[in-house]
Amino acid sequence: MFRNIWLKELKEQLYTWKGTLWLVISSLVFSLISYLLLTDKELSLLDQTEMMWMLAKVIIGIGLLIISIDASSIISNEFEKETAESLFLSPIKMKDFVLGKLLASLSMWFFIFIVSIPYILVTSAGTKLFFPFLIYVFLLGTIGVLGFIMLIFAISLLFRSSKNTLTTSLIILLALAVPSLFSTTLKNNSFANVLSKVNPVDNIFSSLDNVLVDYQTSLLQNGQFIFPLVLFCLIAFIFLVYASKRFKRAGVVKHE
Amino acid sequence: MKTIISVINLTKSYGSIKAVDGLNLEIAEGDFFGFLGPNGAGKTTTIRMLTGIIEPDDGKITIAGNIYPNLKPILNMIGVVPESRGFYEWMTAKEYLLFFAQLYNIPCPHKKIDELLGKVNLSERKNSAIATFSRGMKQRLGLARALVNDPKILFLDEPTLGLDPQGQEEIQNLLKQLNKNGVTIFLSSHQLNEVSNLCSRVAIINKGRLVAQGTISELQKKTNLAGSLKDIFLALTNNNHV
Repeated sequence: MFRNIWLKELKEQLYTWKGTLWLVISSLVFSLISYLLLTDKELSLLDQTEMMWMLAKVIIGIGLLIISIDASSIISNEFEKETAESLFLSPIKMKDFVLGKLLASLSMWFFIFIVSIPYILVTSAGTKLFFPFLIYVFLLGTIGVLGFIMLIFAISLLFRSSKNTLTTSLIILLALAVPSLFSTTLKNNSFANVLSKVNPVDNIFSSLDNVLVDYQTSLLQNGQFIFPLVLFCLIAFIFLVYASKRFKRAGVVKHE
Repeated sequence: MKTIISVINLTKSYGSIKAVDGLNLEIAEGDFFGFLGPNGAGKTTTIRMLTGIIEPDDGKITIAGNIYPNLKPILNMIGVVPESRGFYEWMTAKEYLLFFAQLYNIPCPHKKIDELLGKVNLSERKNSAIATFSRGMKQRLGLARALVNDPKILFLDEPTLGLDPQGQEEIQNLLKQLNKNGVTIFLSSHQLNEVSNLCSRVAIINKGRLVAQGTISELQKKTNLAGSLKDIFLALTNNNHV
């Protein structure tokens, strides 16, 4: 049954041009960044691996931002557009409803990733890092996006409002992304160091740095960054299960 | 006849307002049951409690032998035209019904959907986006969706609202046919003519309380009025907001 929900959401993304618009925006941003990295006088002086690292950060950053915005409304819309009542009057199971929506959001990330492949190819031309670059952007991006989608869905099921979910999701994303911009000196502080080690966004960027700049390409060498990401996904999953359990059919309609 | 819907002392409050207050109903299998009341009387809240979409504060609901809150087994045997008219506007009528048919695991859904679209007179617009539909067309599509699983019990909340007289006539004929085929129908409506034409039994609620229940002739006796259902309704609710 989750397949029906997944396909419905995918069709909606295409029919309403929402998904296509996101892909065009992603493509424009990737084009602009790649163009600047390759042609700008100062940026083109960067080492090629540094350029790849920057592009990888942009691909995953754009992916996280778009998916956060998209996932914020995918569940809440059912309540706001009053389609939830008919939907929950059918014998649909909550797990199918959530799984279908989750796969639809995750599919959007896969589309963004596919759009990014030509840019990855161009930026990594002449190095042996094309495949590690491609695989790690996909792996880290997928784990990070999955964790965020589950977190946002849990918030969405509790709030049932796109605006509140979107605001909360963007605040969380911003709060997690900002520390990754801190200088290394600032990160030397023990508290900042701990925060950095548990922060999923920081771990994504650190792992990319490890792969693309320090050439540490094996999974074992990146385990210290991937483990906290998997832990983040696990916590988000538990939160989603809690929010789903709290959700009851008797409550689909808000009290008038 | 066997009772299919039984409601005992059903109560629901929103804050200090009692939307439904100690409601008792008994509906036999195969009944065409009319549920009347002025605006805000608690009709929609009652339907939502019966279909498990709103949690009652108190009372006992039994539908086809299933007692609330274990109403999940009834989802496959009920069809509902709810008050909220949310549709996936970007879908075509056919895609919309197909989506719900798949949720119910209906075998050969395309054949079923074509048949339903014919019944509600939407065959010619089956490939049009719902966003282009008039209110009446959406009403008919909502009814087709409620029939997608061949329900044994049909809950209808103002099903002919927004329909032109021809559309109302078509829907009423369809409902008569369904009832003739054994479907129990719970109809909430403001159209008193419609209710008196269609329903074998009627319940009238006012401010969440049941004020009368029975056949129209029983209600006439109760109120000592030989007039129409409208006269009875006004006498019982003492309210002109019909």
